[in-house]
Amino acid sequence: MHAIYGWVTGPLTWIAFLLFFGGLLYRLVQLLILVRRKEPFIFSYMSLKYSLRSILHWILPFGTVNWRLHPVMTIVTFAFHICLLVAPVFLMAHAILFEEAWGFGWPSLPDVAADWMTLIVIAGAVFFLVRRIVRPEVRFVTSTSDYVLLAVVAAPFVTGFIAYHQLFAYRWMLVAHIVSGQVMLVAIPFTRLVHMLFAPLTRAYTGSEFGGVRHAVDW
Amino acid sequence: MKRFVTVLLAVAVGWLWATAPLAQEDMETVPNDAFTSPQRPPAVFVHDAHNEAAGIDECNRCHHVYREGQLVPDESSEDYRCSDCHAETAADDGMPALMGAFHGNCKQCHLELENGPVMCGECHQRP
Amino acid sequence: MAQPAKSEAKQIVDNGIEKGAAGLTEDRIQAVINRVIKGESGARLKVYVDTCVHCGLCSEACHYYLSHDKDPRYSPVAKVKQTLWEMIRRKGRVSVDFMRRAAEIVHTECNLCKRCAMYCPFGIDIAYLMMVVRRIVHLLGMTPQYIQDTAHSHAAVSNQMWVKPDEWPDTLQWQEEEARGEIPTLRIPLEKEGADIMYSVIGPEPKFQAQLIYQAAVIMDVAGVNWTMPATAGWDNSDMAMFTGDNEVMGRIKREHYETAARLRVRRIVMGECGHAFRSVYDVGNRWLGWRIPPIPIIHAIEFYHELLTAGKIRVAKKFKTPVTIHDPCNVVRGGGLHRMARDLAHALCEEVVEMYPNCEHNYCCCAGGGVINCGPPWKNKRIEGNRVKADQLADAKIRGAKVLIAPCHNCHSGLEDINHAYELGLDIKFFGDIIYEVMEKPEA
Repeated sequence: MHAIYGWVTGPLTWIAFLLFFGGLLYRLVQLLILVRRKEPFIFSYMSLKYSLRSILHWILPFGTVNWRLHPVMTIVTFAFHICLLVAPVFLMAHAILFEEAWGFGWPSLPDVAADWMTLIVIAGAVFFLVRRIVRPEVRFVTSTSDYVLLAVVAAPFVTGFIAYHQLFAYRWMLVAHIVSGQVMLVAIPFTRLVHMLFAPLTRAYTGSEFGGVRHAVDW
Repeated sequence: MKRFVTVLLAVAVGWLWATAPLAQEDMETVPNDAFTSPQRPPAVFVHDAHNEAAGIDECNRCHHVYREGQLVPDESSEDYRCSDCHAETAADDGMPALMGAFHGNCKQCHLELENGPVMCGECHQRP
Repeated sequence: MAQPAKSEAKQIVDNGIEKGAAGLTEDRIQAVINRVIKGESGARLKVYVDTCVHCGLCSEACHYYLSHDKDPRYSPVAKVKQTLWEMIRRKGRVSVDFMRRAAEIVHTECNLCKRCAMYCPFGIDIAYLMMVVRRIVHLLGMTPQYIQDTAHSHAAVSNQMWVKPDEWPDTLQWQEEEARGEIPTLRIPLEKEGADIMYSVIGPEPKFQAQLIYQAAVIMDVAGVNWTMPATAGWDNSDMAMFTGDNEVMGRIKREHYETAARLRVRRIVMGECGHAFRSVYDVGNRWLGWRIPPIPIIHAIEFYHELLTAGKIRVAKKFKTPVTIHDPCNVVRGGGLHRMARDLAHALCEEVVEMYPNCEHNYCCCAGGGVINCGPPWKNKRIEGNRVKADQLADAKIRGAKVLIAPCHNCHSGLEDINHAYELGLDIKFFGDIIYEVMEKPEA
């Protein structure tokens, strides 16, 4: 177990973070090169003011007509995404591991809070799954990859929850937690999870077009 | 070798706890009452059995004494609680905070020896 | 899931699509798709496709989706799935039948109104993706027959309606003569270099709505505007090539339009009440030709009338009595932000303005724009069925008192006439120009 633990927390973690950050950087640079080569006009339409205006409305729950049109989805998706980002980054166990490796850490959440946030993420994933199956307009555009991606995102939270509560097979669950977290990190730049990076950019461009050229709101 | 000693010293910090509420031989967990709001169950630690299995004879393998940042080789500190020196939050003088001292004493030694628990829940076991 | 048998039952046959499909091979399809997807397209296509998480939140934006009882096949993202995703997944290797269906989807099930871009949390511009597919359809020669004919007209005579070079000044002189019956000194100044304004219209005006030119001339004359119209090609600001994906022809006719204005050394181009033409001269054509914004300022009729009214150049003699409601055309509202001016204008001209809901940027499309009405008679019923939600919206405004529907866009006008007729709404559909002409102070004849 020492060998496995050493491997997943050592080299595998390095690989995961390198692929995650490197991958995001690669996607960003690749995008900018593509814009420059093929659609350089995009740069000339980008406006900081209108980008932020648009992003601000859309990152505000109920800040847009469409958010108000789907109140349950809005609450779930905001709760899901906030917890998804906050819980792992501010989890005490993660901060401790980071501090042990690098000599500095950051303030972390009480475990109880992180525990609830994890449950929210899992519940959100279940909601998305059910929504995918139940809503015809979502099911029509759903492919296997959508379920796989949802599982990839949910896995670290499910395994983390089980490991934290030491429900069963603690050691293996922790290893599964670490590995599934790494899989998720690596998946982000190379799958549709890349919306983490691209969504603000597409929003910014549409916001710039609507604000600067079309003099209309896009929310 | 030096690190090895440090690590064992760290382990020893665990014992320090035992002096107050329990006799060392009865000890089963490392008391966490020095933490304002402990987030995990106290770490499982059976003092005598551990030392027997680990072959530790010297108290100061864990119950170390540092003076002006230097390890004092011949002294030991089993009459103190870890929290007498290690504050809950890290001070500027480079002295590890209490949790860091515990993890440093136990987990780091286990990692280096590739023996003993290293995962959170292996020590912080839920009842 | 809804599987409406009725629309399945009657297969619509379009000669343009069929003729194009007849000579196609999968090799040729693959080559064209890859030329467009890999060659011509860039970051937008890639990022939009890679970022979409298939959440379906764009669905409620689409009038086709809403009108078909939320049939998932009509949601914006579903149209991408049924066309682009599949093309990308199969690396362009799709069948002729697939392309036949793709051509139908992008030409007759999407008006490129961009309402969905306002509903997608990521702001993915699905209309752009539909245009990419239309480009593919164009390069395969599968564009629906009627709209292809108008594109041919643009290519051949630089206007949408096969108006021949001599018919154009003839029509203007005829309308000038007519208007002189009302205002004897009125002129429609042709080729007046150095005028302030070049007034431009779309092909259908001289072809069968010449009274609109008459009305515009009266408004210009009364307002004392220093204006002109070209006697040559370049007068037509409309652009169906833009909607067929024939970018080359689109760019050529836009260049001709701007160059005509430049030759006349006018300061501004004022255009009639048309939406898609506004999109083509204000937003699309200039970009294709390399201008960030139009090389010569483009003023839509709404802005122009607003300007004349606020400057006091035209005065309202007696406000329009019948209660009106305003339809916000996608291209000038979502594409130009003119909804506030349209309301100012309506309130200045009319005694009672009844809002329809949703309105402004969120208004439902007329279902005629984006070249859909130009696909002609074969698709007319499908277009009307696809916009039941508009009929509901208008009926609601009617219940609340509206009797006249102002639609400051030609395509909207024609599409709404069809809706009005098919759903028996009994609204009277007008342009702002119609109302201004009716209520303005005119010199005594």
